[in-house]
Amino acid sequence: MGWFKRLFGKRPTNADIQRELDFHIAMERAARETRGVNPAEARRTALVDFGGVSRAYEDVRDVRGMTFRESLMQDLRIGLRMLVRSPGYTFAAIAILALGIGANTAMFSVINGVLLEPLPFRDGQQLVLVQHSASRSNVADAGVSINELFAYRTRLTSVRNLVEYHQMNFTLLNQGDPDRVDTGVVSANFFDMLGIKPLEGRTFIDTDDDLGAPAVLVLGYEYWRDKFGGDKSVVGRVLQMNDKPHTIVGVLPPYPQYPRRNDVYMPTSACPFRSGAEQQIAQSHRTFAALRVFGRLAEDRTVEQATAEIATVAESFAKDHAPDYEATRGFTGQAQYLGETLVSGARAMLYTLLGITALVLIITCANVANLALARTVRRSREMAVRMALGAGRTRIMRQLVTESVLLSSIGGLAGLGLAWLSLDLLVGFMGRFTPRTGQIDIDGTVLAFTAVASVLTGVIFGLAPAFSTGRGLTQAIRDGGAQAGEGGGRQRARAVLVVAQVAVSFALLVGAALLLKSFHRLSSVPLGFNSESVMTASITGNFSRATSQAEFTRLQQNIIDRLRTTPGVRSAAATNLVPQLVTQPVAPPVVIEGVTATDGRSLQALASGASEGFFETLDIPLLAGRDFSRSDPVPPPPPPASSGAPPLAPTPRYAIINQSMAKFWNGVDPIGRRFARPAQAALGDRGIWFTVIGIVPDFHLYNVDTSVAPQYFVSIQQIGGGGRLIVRAGGDPGDVAQTIRTTVHSIDNQIPVEELLTLGQLHGQQLATPAVTTALLAIFAVVALAVTLAGLAGLVGTSVSQRTREFGLRMALGASRFSVLRLVLGQGLMLTVIGLVLGLGGAYVFSQLVTQFLFETTRTDILVYAGTALVFVIATLAASAGPARRATGIDPLKALRTE
Amino acid sequence: MGRIDRSDLLQGTLDLLILRTLTLGPEHGWGISQRIQQMTTDVLRVNQGSLYPALHRLEVQGWIESEWGLSASNREAKFYRLTKAGHRHLEKETANWERLVGAVARVLAATS
Repeated sequence: MGWFKRLFGKRPTNADIQRELDFHIAMERAARETRGVNPAEARRTALVDFGGVSRAYEDVRDVRGMTFRESLMQDLRIGLRMLVRSPGYTFAAIAILALGIGANTAMFSVINGVLLEPLPFRDGQQLVLVQHSASRSNVADAGVSINELFAYRTRLTSVRNLVEYHQMNFTLLNQGDPDRVDTGVVSANFFDMLGIKPLEGRTFIDTDDDLGAPAVLVLGYEYWRDKFGGDKSVVGRVLQMNDKPHTIVGVLPPYPQYPRRNDVYMPTSACPFRSGAEQQIAQSHRTFAALRVFGRLAEDRTVEQATAEIATVAESFAKDHAPDYEATRGFTGQAQYLGETLVSGARAMLYTLLGITALVLIITCANVANLALARTVRRSREMAVRMALGAGRTRIMRQLVTESVLLSSIGGLAGLGLAWLSLDLLVGFMGRFTPRTGQIDIDGTVLAFTAVASVLTGVIFGLAPAFSTGRGLTQAIRDGGAQAGEGGGRQRARAVLVVAQVAVSFALLVGAALLLKSFHRLSSVPLGFNSESVMTASITGNFSRATSQAEFTRLQQNIIDRLRTTPGVRSAAATNLVPQLVTQPVAPPVVIEGVTATDGRSLQALASGASEGFFETLDIPLLAGRDFSRSDPVPPPPPPASSGAPPLAPTPRYAIINQSMAKFWNGVDPIGRRFARPAQAALGDRGIWFTVIGIVPDFHLYNVDTSVAPQYFVSIQQIGGGGRLIVRAGGDPGDVAQTIRTTVHSIDNQIPVEELLTLGQLHGQQLATPAVTTALLAIFAVVALAVTLAGLAGLVGTSVSQRTREFGLRMALGASRFSVLRLVLGQGLMLTVIGLVLGLGGAYVFSQLVTQFLFETTRTDILVYAGTALVFVIATLAASAGPARRATGIDPLKALRTE
Repeated sequence: MGRIDRSDLLQGTLDLLILRTLTLGPEHGWGISQRIQQMTTDVLRVNQGSLYPALHRLEVQGWIESEWGLSASNREAKFYRLTKAGHRHLEKETANWERLVGAVARVLAATS
């Protein structure tokens, strides 16, 4: 550890050394005086015998050398002076470094907040989610039913404190306009389990969960702050919701709400759907299979053990209640860490972005190293003089590294600012992939990361020029300053750096180009309907007042009718699902009457509801058959479960199917034929069967990046549902937004009209994620390209100024300007071509990262690679055009005369 | 450490003497010079001025360490103390020294 002590060990100060020597002289004098020498003589002889105090002092100082701090301060002073003296270099280097370090800081702060920090709950790492899947029915997330939850509570030993969660949208009254609120419906011990203490009032207690208990609400912090102005007296207030009084019992603290944010929370007993379902759990073991269930892993258990136990119990459900699990064949369960499930959608994107920013940092390093190398050439005389004055090689290297670390630290600071500015954008972007963006922040960990990254960057790019200062002293002095040629080695080092940058930038550009092509493909997928001039809206009936589905249907019909007669409206319809709003789910199985699924072909189709006029409004032609009609029979409401009611009357129910589904009939005309859900088909003629009355072409009801699944539409007039309006406007769809609102409120002013979005906007929203992803990568790639080309142009430029004489001589000897031009352009081009060839492998590897974001584009797309390379070549020519023009403009006479 | 040339010999000798002196216990610079004079019965007179660079060099090398304390005459003085590494170094150098002296003695005995 000698070097460590030498660098950082305590050193005597100059005063200490002086004090030590003074002590010696004093002792010597005293000794002489006791021997009887007179004081003056004693002092003189003591000093003479010592042999010169000041010389000893200097010798000791030499032994000790300069302290680390002293030399560091000296290096910093020199460094600062040098940086100020060449502001162009300093500014360029800091800007490039800020970009590289800033991008990495921003990315790291996201990764830190999303992946690294623990869930903000008590022992968040112990929380596990109970997940159900049904592999043979292609259901990835089968939800947990009420019965299943109850069974797990008594049977699981590896997961304790199971709580349930699901989200609803309810309308809250008594405080101004009817307000639709995101409502988390949770078990009474939900907040206790997570360790969340209320800010005001209380959270839920066990008796809140009893069926029939008075309904209570807990407000989320943000909702309380925004809607109630943070009024503490809100606790105890009674609000109307679902036509029932709800008492506010507490307010939550501001915490990152998981699985997602809600305005208010209610216990399970207060949710009319959930409590209604609980009264009917005897009907099916899978009743209300919409719960998210999580709990705490028992201390001595692993998540694998929990998975094994859950799977055993889940499979026993399917065995003991076989008919209830018809739709979920291959039913099983597993445990997954809650933290894991929340970020699973974001991991790939984060790693991709981290890969990109790391590449950008590499380019940054290479680029600044290149700048620094170019600069050391101009400083070679300074270095030579310092060496001649006795500075050691390590001392000079340290000086250079100090300078570069100083630069990179300033760059890092600027980068931190950039990261801070871009953080909101990034948080918004990541919010598309994970709910865990609440903890993204520039905190101590991020600052530490930035500091380390800055210093490392500085050391790395500082070492490159430092290692190339080994030129002979005499050589350097002889060369002098201005005309100093670059040593062949240094020129080669710069060329290598440029080639490396080209290679890395090429990989980035190829990735961006692949994404661009994919995005172009994605956005040009034909929707299959006319999305122009169509406005959509969501309306919510007060379902506890409009007690029957028939009433809600009538309400919707009234709204549609009134809209249709409103000027500016071409057509209007109601549906369950507006196109482009949600991701295509996995289709559940259907039974086709008279057709048996052979050779393993599965008959699965998605269902949605529509009113008459739905296809007309979307400009979708009927290929065969007819649309729904108001005169279609309406089945009587189902009798209450408890009354021993007679079997359902066989009212025909109609369906319109798409072309993909029509293929189920193997070429037979499906019009007039019937199909049903497996459970209904099992009931024979007492089950609910749908009769095909029309066929429409395939169109993209869901996301455009999947192929259209077999799909059927049932009549909401017959089956119920709806809640979404689609309105085709005569002109600008924005104009009908207000029309829709006033029309709805003229019929019932307690109905919230929300999500007024045109189909164009919905389509845009769907493309937003790939658009932003593509834009992000494209920005990085273009920045990388620009930085690389700047480096390349710099190198070519230097070489032109060095070869001025050579070019002059060539031209004097008869070389044409064109051949000189070719010489200069050829140099830059050669670097680019070598870089491209080397970058090919890197691009191939990097494209692996983006491949998961590609749509109908393979990562080995030759055209993309070739096109990107071409862009690079053209850009290289453009970048070397400046130096090339300078070279051809050389006056041979002048060039030869100057030395 | 097989060979020792002449310039090293002088410097090395002073180092050796300082280290040996310090085996008796911590001592300040003046005390060390006194002890060396006593032990060598004034045969070797240490140039007092060169004692201090040597002390500091030994400290930099980690063979001795220093601390400010009070001298016998109740004055502030810097005391040096042998470190473990210093002990080992002294043993090694003593052995080297004895080999050298032995070799020189044999040569002198043979030629006389």
